Amino acid sequence: MNIIETQNLTKTYGDFTAVSHLNLHIRKGSVYGFLGPNGAGKSTTMKMFLGLTKPTDGSFHIDKKTYPSDRVSILKEVGSFIEAPAFYGNLTGEENLQIIQKILGLPKSCVDDALELVGLTEFRKRLAKKYSLGMKQRLGLAGALIGRPPILILDEPTNGLDPVGIHEIRTLIRSLPQKYDCTVLVSSHLLPEVELMADDIGILNHGHLLFEGTMDDLKRSARAAGFPTDNLEDTFLAMIDEDNQRRGGAA
Amino acid sequence: MSLLIESQKLKRTGYLPAFLAGGFLAAAFPVVYMMVKAKELTLASGKPIAVLMSANWQMMAMLNILISICGACTMYHTEYADNGTQKMSVLPIRQGNLFFSKFVIAALVLSVMVVTEMAVLAGCAEYWFPSYVFDLTEILKTAGFQIVVTLPTVMLMLVIASACKNMWVSLGIGVILVFTFSIFPQDNAVLGLFPFASPYQVLSTAVENSRTALYVIACGIETALFGIAEVIYLKVRRCYE
Amino acid sequence: MSFLSLVGVEFKKIRRSKIFLILFIPIIMMWIPSIINADMNFDLRGIPITPENNFFIQGFMGMAWFMIPASLVICTVLLNQTERSNKGILKMLSLPVGTAKLCLTKFTVLLILAAVQMIMSIGAYYISAAIVTNTQDYHFILEPLYVCKTVCSIYAGAIPMAAVYLAISTLIQSPIFSVGIGLASIVPSVLMINTKIWFAYPMSYPFYLLMVAYGRVAWGVYETQIAWLPWLPAAAGITILALAVSCIRFGASERR
Repeated sequence: MNIIETQNLTKTYGDFTAVSHLNLHIRKGSVYGFLGPNGAGKSTTMKMFLGLTKPTDGSFHIDKKTYPSDRVSILKEVGSFIEAPAFYGNLTGEENLQIIQKILGLPKSCVDDALELVGLTEFRKRLAKKYSLGMKQRLGLAGALIGRPPILILDEPTNGLDPVGIHEIRTLIRSLPQKYDCTVLVSSHLLPEVELMADDIGILNHGHLLFEGTMDDLKRSARAAGFPTDNLEDTFLAMIDEDNQRRGGAA
Repeated sequence: MSLLIESQKLKRTGYLPAFLAGGFLAAAFPVVYMMVKAKELTLASGKPIAVLMSANWQMMAMLNILISICGACTMYHTEYADNGTQKMSVLPIRQGNLFFSKFVIAALVLSVMVVTEMAVLAGCAEYWFPSYVFDLTEILKTAGFQIVVTLPTVMLMLVIASACKNMWVSLGIGVILVFTFSIFPQDNAVLGLFPFASPYQVLSTAVENSRTALYVIACGIETALFGIAEVIYLKVRRCYE
Repeated sequence: MSFLSLVGVEFKKIRRSKIFLILFIPIIMMWIPSIINADMNFDLRGIPITPENNFFIQGFMGMAWFMIPASLVICTVLLNQTERSNKGILKMLSLPVGTAKLCLTKFTVLLILAAVQMIMSIGAYYISAAIVTNTQDYHFILEPLYVCKTVCSIYAGAIPMAAVYLAISTLIQSPIFSVGIGLASIVPSVLMINTKIWFAYPMSYPFYLLMVAYGRVAWGVYETQIAWLPWLPAAAGITILALAVSCIRFGASERR
């Protein structure tokens, strides 16, 4: 069963098309890796899911609900992390989370739980603006994970983390569906990273969906199209490169 | 609940101390004024509170407005500075509630400020005017009137601050509005109804011209209208972002 | 890096900040009522002043008292926020530029912005004087030399105040307090110029200078002579002290 589905989802800014006729299918209880180079339209798509920007055309459903009519009820189910630092600098990490906890109407213990989950317990009394990049990132993640929502939308959650941190967060994301029975949509521009976390992947380039399916499907179709398959990074690069050339040729 | 959240967001921004300091500074005006010009004022005709108000209120009101502008700018500066507002917009709450909680807080601190000022005015009257008899209803009435006529300004300033991501833009617009309305003639009935001009109105003058009800009703309507405008603005902004 | 090119860099930083618009709007706001109420310039209420002088002085009154200081406060906020909002200041401090020099360039930018506003206000004065001359059928235009001299003296009087505001915004990190103190300090200047210690209060200098100009064209309204002593030493002392403090403390909280 698909928990998130889009139909010809399109977003244009003036004459620039950020997302073009996107048809995504995200299964319930899976980790969906959303892959693409910088500026491919990943963040725009995620922002549309959260009602931060309005689709120009097409539609989407999240758990059978749609924006804008069910905005609030969608947001009740979705924990999100968009464009790294979104917090109140004058408040401590703990206070930032308390605000979210109160708005979501969660029990107080959720704050400690979320801090523990991302490993910020030690720094919870420090002002958020004094946090290091990695700590801000973790705070953002805590704000998404708090209350264990059934759907998580994470935009490049491992940006700015150290290798140990990246590993921790990846393991955490990987374990979420089994632990809390949730669906995760996670974006990245690194295929090896997505490979380690995701059940399904969607590859986006210049707003177009190049591929959607499981990792095995990807390997299979890449082999069929004559792309290198022994290293997934090369597969990804070759796919993007081929698409760019086709676009360049067409234009 | 959202009131508590909004007040929590103002931690460490200096919001409350700024209002307290502003209130005390404004309250210091009549004291200093009386120390310098006690003779002339005590000889003036009229009720002591009315005399004190007409001598000092212009400056006190301006200070109240300026501090309210700073307050509105700060409230939205904390929202925009580190992108906190984005997190708020992906949480299941209405943006309008957020705004109105901010307004309630701003109105409350304004009331505290005005009441402090009135208390000091009463103190001045007690100390310098031998004829003065303490009258609580008079003080409360004056305070209530001055709060009500300042509310449209507070509301409009919050609307402006919510629309501008850069603090200096909202601050600039606020200061320009203060300036514009402070150079308009105060005795004009229509101009005096505008936000940024109405706070200068004094209860005793309004009673003399029997315009009290007019001011209270007009200011109430203005406040409500700006509130509605903000809700519409938030709806429109959501579509264009 | 030369001082001039550093000033150029500072101006680049405030591109697209709409600051010129914010400096420009109050000038329009200041003259529109004057144009509409131009006939009031003939109602002199017993003050011995000619209508054209009255038009000029009344028009600049709000500017000297309120708008110049308020614009300076807004500009210091702008300069500060551009540095702090995305940690630009850290980059600047890691470049081979002296902090004192950086601080002085900020001050220069502040003065240039104020100067631009002054030039705009002179322009606006002449435009509105020309309009009023036509509508009221009376010659309202004053000699350029006199107008420029008066406005320049007001501008010069604003320099110590600019230094003080810069010092306030460097010393006080919290924007609400630096802005609040700045704006609140404007209000009492009406009282201050009527006291004996006005020279210790830089926010009242421009207003004082305009009042002296008023006194010269309208006998008996105010003093006709600028009290150079003790004003000049006091103003110079305040300016130097404020600049020294800002140069020493500039970027101090970021370098901890």
